[in-house]
Amino acid sequence: MFHPKKASSMNSPMCDSGLVLTTDPKPRLRWTVELHERFVDAVTQLGGPDKATPKTIMRVMGVKGLTLYHLKSHLQKFRLGKQPHKDFNDHSIKDASSLELQRNNASSSGMMGRSMNEMQMEVNRRLHEQLEVQRHLQLRIEAHGKYMQTILEKACQTVLAGDNKAAAAGPTLNFPTLQDLNMYGSSDHLHHQGMEMESLKRSTPYTGKSPLIWADDLRLQELGTASCLDDQIGPLSVDRGSDIDSVSDIYETKPMLSSGGHDHKKYDVKMDRPSPTPPRTVAISAGGMRSSPFG
Amino acid sequence: MAMVMDLGFPSFESFDYTTTTTTTTTTTTTTSSTDEGCNWSDWSPVVDWNEISGDQDFQNLIDSMIDENVVIHQSIRPIDDDDQIHEAEYNNSSPEYNMAMQDEAGSAEDSKGLRLIHLLMATAEAMAGRDECRGLARVILVRLKELVSPTYGTNMERLAAYFGDALQASLDAGAGGRLAPGAAEHHRADVLAAFQLLQDMSPYVKFGHFTANQAILEAVANDRRVHIVDYDIMEGIQWASLMQALVSRKDGPPAPHLRITAVSRSGTGRRSFGTVQETGRRLTAFAASIGQPFSFHQCRLDADETFRPTSLKLVRGEALVFNCMLHLPHFSHRAPDSIASFLSGAGTLNPRLITLVEEEMAPPSEGGFVGRFMDLLHHFSTVYDSLEAGFPMQSRARALVERVFLGPRIMESVGRIYRGRETEEGCSWGQWLGAVGFRPVSISFANHCQAKLLLGLYNDGYRVEELTTNKLVLGWKSRRLLSASIWTSQDCDL
Repeated sequence: MFHPKKASSMNSPMCDSGLVLTTDPKPRLRWTVELHERFVDAVTQLGGPDKATPKTIMRVMGVKGLTLYHLKSHLQKFRLGKQPHKDFNDHSIKDASSLELQRNNASSSGMMGRSMNEMQMEVNRRLHEQLEVQRHLQLRIEAHGKYMQTILEKACQTVLAGDNKAAAAGPTLNFPTLQDLNMYGSSDHLHHQGMEMESLKRSTPYTGKSPLIWADDLRLQELGTASCLDDQIGPLSVDRGSDIDSVSDIYETKPMLSSGGHDHKKYDVKMDRPSPTPPRTVAISAGGMRSSPFG
Repeated sequence: MAMVMDLGFPSFESFDYTTTTTTTTTTTTTTSSTDEGCNWSDWSPVVDWNEISGDQDFQNLIDSMIDENVVIHQSIRPIDDDDQIHEAEYNNSSPEYNMAMQDEAGSAEDSKGLRLIHLLMATAEAMAGRDECRGLARVILVRLKELVSPTYGTNMERLAAYFGDALQASLDAGAGGRLAPGAAEHHRADVLAAFQLLQDMSPYVKFGHFTANQAILEAVANDRRVHIVDYDIMEGIQWASLMQALVSRKDGPPAPHLRITAVSRSGTGRRSFGTVQETGRRLTAFAASIGQPFSFHQCRLDADETFRPTSLKLVRGEALVFNCMLHLPHFSHRAPDSIASFLSGAGTLNPRLITLVEEEMAPPSEGGFVGRFMDLLHHFSTVYDSLEAGFPMQSRARALVERVFLGPRIMESVGRIYRGRETEEGCSWGQWLGAVGFRPVSISFANHCQAKLLLGLYNDGYRVEELTTNKLVLGWKSRRLLSASIWTSQDCDL
């Protein structure tokens, strides 16, 4: 019944059974802006989200391929979004009496229901905010690292230029100390001052644990309920992916990722992934779930 | 997952040096009075000196403290419930001793660590005492120097080396004189490498910067013009992430104009990061590269480092922010008067926000110099621990950071508390701000969340707590180290 269509192949997506479906094995519905607007129109026509029922909405919208199931859950979310204090009930029941029964039922357990909803909303909100913060933090750390590079580059130029003079003025040129530190792996590539600065530059963006670890932390915060977040957090550490290997060289004198228990917690990534090729991008979906609420 | 690290030296938490021991110290006047006028019983209550000293003179006493092979009757109070330090008689000829050594290999290190602490404490006590005891202090320091080195050994050993040097320098400078100005200038490459490493192995720098920046972002969300007066701009890296955030902010007027006025001093600063002008050029270039409207200014302090608010150029309609970073590991110490002039000067201008980052020290103990010395020792040993947790294998890298940044800080701090009188500021700058009338500004959920996430990138041992509504404190294990607090001037309504 649903066949995945690419949106680009349709002229006016809403004319036919113009549903935009994802290409997942499970047929899912993506609520585009247009579709949602039609939905809202229909609901308004029917007298608001409380009066409208999935069946009536379906009739009013007149969109082929839209099922009661889709509408039920979307209506539920819509209600939650619009009126957080209303409890949501299954409004596929049509007759007023049972509706009333439900309402009466709801009022006693309504208190419970309402605060549960509020808590759920609150949790959702917090999680959303936390993800925002995380995204911003990543960008800020990168900016911090880029600036650090400018400092190092400048210093590199200055040193290379003033090498002869510097030796005469006071403390001896201490570049060899970087070499002594043997932080940057074998000493082979450290014979050149410029190289040392280079490796310093490469290591700039990383603060410790790889940001890839965030993915795992997020999964731990799975809510287990329908998340209202559709968007996926973009891949972390995209253009820094190539640096991961070099950073591991820099900070370990022995091959890393073979860590037993006790060393470097920095790269102790808890995810299962083949070492030593870390993935370039990590897509993190809200709450660690990829399933959309639309089943 | 929490990881217990055996760092091989006794936990400071359990080392209670301020309370008196349960063993009675009888004041025997027989032998003690001949020891250069120092009464042994006046000394550290932890160790029963009388029992130890007996008929022995200095040299033997100190040797006995140091030498593991000599019989020591220690009435050291069992400090740790975990029995890390045993109340024992060590006799290398006894089978019990040998067994003990084999059973707990770590305890030898613990003992050495403890011994070093004792030596340091003894030195501090000697220095705090009458002049006649200074000689003793010097003797102990000589022996201490033989045991430790600033570049190799355990955390405690290296720490003891720096503290020993600091005590030595204070002794040499004399009670009233100023400490010899500044440590030797480190080579620029060393300083930069150490700075890079410091940021990679610990969150101190980023914590201070990001917390302040987030508060600033929130406070100027709807402004078109922002003016930040920075007390100690150093290399300017704090502003990189702020600019990035301003450029990409979604709500409020896009790309607000940012103006930074850097407070500059006439004396020598940390030259290795360049002059303030260089920092300005760097920031300007960076701003241009990300499309942030930006201008940079300087504001000179007086010769005595007093801040004059009138020397600031202000523009009407700009949101004014005063940024005061103190005590970050790579920062130089600033005179309290100078800081006070900056903060009170800020108050006269009714700024939108004041961001303050400073060391979080325990309230000054009643132990006088010795108490404050031990607190300092505790503080820095915690920092050393945290760095080791970040770079457990790279001890040479850590040694570099210690040499370039921490060593000079230890030197300066010890000298300061040695010279200090009781009038030294007993409160933090945050308390000072509250007392002179600034209003606290709450730390937002986003800010707190950011701090937690940031720490999550480092070792599990770091903690952040919201100590008061306007203050976030970064700590290592149970010790608080650095605090970031947000304030506003009274008349301004955020």
